[in-house]
Amino acid sequence: MTQVLDREQIAEWSAQQPRRPWTKKPARLQAWIAVAALLPAALVALIFTYTEIPGPILLVAVYFPLQLLAAGIAAVATKGRQGAADSVIIVLAIGATLFSFIILTSVLGSLIVRGFEALWGEDGFRSSFLFQNNVYINPSTPLEYGGLGHAVIGTLMIVLIASLIAVPIGIATAIYITEVRGRAVPYVRFFVQAMSGIPSIVAGLFILTVLIVSGAMNQSAFAGGLAYAILMLPTVARTAEEVLRLIPEDLRTGALALGSTRARVVLRVVIPAAKTGVITAIILGVARVIGETAPLLLTSLKSDQTILNPLTDPIAALPTYIFDNVALPYPGAVTRAWGAALVLMILVLILFTLARILGRDRLNRFR
Amino acid sequence: MAAPPTETRRDLDSAATSHRGDRIFNRGITIAAFTALLVLAGIAIFLGIAAVEAITTQGWSFLFTTEWKVDQGDEPVAGIWGMLYGSVLLAVIGLVIAVPVSLLLSVFIVFLAPRRLARAMTNVIDLMAAIPSIILGLWAFYLLSPPAEQWQFLLNKYLGWIPIFQNDSGNFNGTPFIAGFVLAIMMIPIITSVSREVLGRTPPELINAAEALGCSLWTMLRHVALPYGRGGIVGGIMLGLGRALGETIAIFFVLKLVYDINWYKIIESEGGSVATLIVATFGEVSGPYELNLLLAAGFFLFVGTLAVNVIANLIVQKTGRSER
Repeated sequence: MTQVLDREQIAEWSAQQPRRPWTKKPARLQAWIAVAALLPAALVALIFTYTEIPGPILLVAVYFPLQLLAAGIAAVATKGRQGAADSVIIVLAIGATLFSFIILTSVLGSLIVRGFEALWGEDGFRSSFLFQNNVYINPSTPLEYGGLGHAVIGTLMIVLIASLIAVPIGIATAIYITEVRGRAVPYVRFFVQAMSGIPSIVAGLFILTVLIVSGAMNQSAFAGGLAYAILMLPTVARTAEEVLRLIPEDLRTGALALGSTRARVVLRVVIPAAKTGVITAIILGVARVIGETAPLLLTSLKSDQTILNPLTDPIAALPTYIFDNVALPYPGAVTRAWGAALVLMILVLILFTLARILGRDRLNRFR
Repeated sequence: MAAPPTETRRDLDSAATSHRGDRIFNRGITIAAFTALLVLAGIAIFLGIAAVEAITTQGWSFLFTTEWKVDQGDEPVAGIWGMLYGSVLLAVIGLVIAVPVSLLLSVFIVFLAPRRLARAMTNVIDLMAAIPSIILGLWAFYLLSPPAEQWQFLLNKYLGWIPIFQNDSGNFNGTPFIAGFVLAIMMIPIITSVSREVLGRTPPELINAAEALGCSLWTMLRHVALPYGRGGIVGGIMLGLGRALGETIAIFFVLKLVYDINWYKIIESEGGSVATLIVATFGEVSGPYELNLLLAAGFFLFVGTLAVNVIANLIVQKTGRSER
């Protein structure tokens, strides 16, 4: 006799989360974990306060082995010998997590602390640092004067030029892969992937030989933008490809059935449907290149003035502004570098968050 | 209305491309799609010409000797072996640090952390990947270097009998170790995001089966998850390696370039890196001949990173990871 199952019943069952009775930890295990986690830390804290041994040594040579040992003992006591390997993995994994977290906190924290020295003076927020340029400024000039306005304009100009070149080509590449679907699709994808591995310095060298050494033009925003475009193209193409893939096939066939041509399907149906995703692709492309320094050192050099002509003159940009100020033996110049780094990081963070928000929207719509 | 009723399947693609506007559209898109190839070929040709010129004037010693005396005297001598080797050494130091950390991180994210924390950690890792290299370089110069000199001093004091921790100069500034550490920070997000995805795709039925058989976490990792994701993890490591080989600015301020070969002394203040050589020398380039040598160095850097990247991508693709 076969029993016919009720559909709703099945749906209800499959919607239930599987119970995991083994994830609930018995009290004895929890007690052991608590002791193993707290005891080494307490011990090391005591040693640290009552002896002269410097912190880093204590951390690496005493705390870390001690913590591993404590976790091992706790594991053996509660789960037998098999638990020992687990405890080591867990301690190391938490250690690795803390390590990466500390690094990120240190980078962002130092940026904020040191960056604000440039942006904030006794007179409050120093908007001059954001808007003035570097003319008449030497490394020992007080921070009240001069700023990175010219570099911000330069960065915006270079990124804009790069986007104008890389975005259409990148999206066209994605369209070729997902919409035109020609015979060369695997090769095109291969080349795009290979292109994403080009080191930024090599992109700079390439533009340097083709445009500048050959005498076609001077180091300028346009040359820098071309070098950026090389780095930006693969990111835009791959992200856009992923996005276009998410567009339901029904939209395409539906539009074709209504009698529109392929080109119209792409331009009027697919791209508008993937609009936020395509914007995300562009943002990710910009975020990829905006902090690149090496290509600009070769292709756009630097300038102290505000340059508005993208074709003829060397131009400053945020990364090269930082680069030029870092190594100068003047505290003021170094502070300027930190200030510029903070501004750059804020730009990157804004792009990053925007891409996240738009990306979430995209996923909600098509999945 | 002319379509015969017996036709059950129409080739939509050929029907669509018969339209004139579509043909133009398709052709334009196809041409644009080959830009990537064009750029790769352009780099190979333009830098390749420089490389051929360098090899013809310098001989193969350009690749296999270590010297850079171009602006003094009339017989310029240049060789980038020390720099090539230095790039590899730095990348290896970076890998030694980054691989265990990344694998443990991805194990933590996939198997250990509660879902909220896992998502937060994924964001932290992505944020790490978004830090521009110049900012990392600035941080490394002012915040990493001073304590790292202390660590190296201690390493040398207590473990100096191990050859790699030798230091004869007493100067712990600008060592391959510090530069390798910075590269590790750049590699960790790349390797982690690939291996996290690969480990996360271990079929849950395999994991459940292993747990049901009484496997501990370690046994499950050792016999189920790691073998399953091995290909992807290796590919991710190679992607990180490709990134490390081409990195310039992050290590520019923390690596002392010496035109000599430093085989293994990772905490000696002597290092080399092709990419850094290019930037360092470009600032005071003496003339077209030296510039050409730099382009040639760039060519070999390009070939090396391209090879590593292509292999990495093939491996990652073979394990079925969607591209990133």
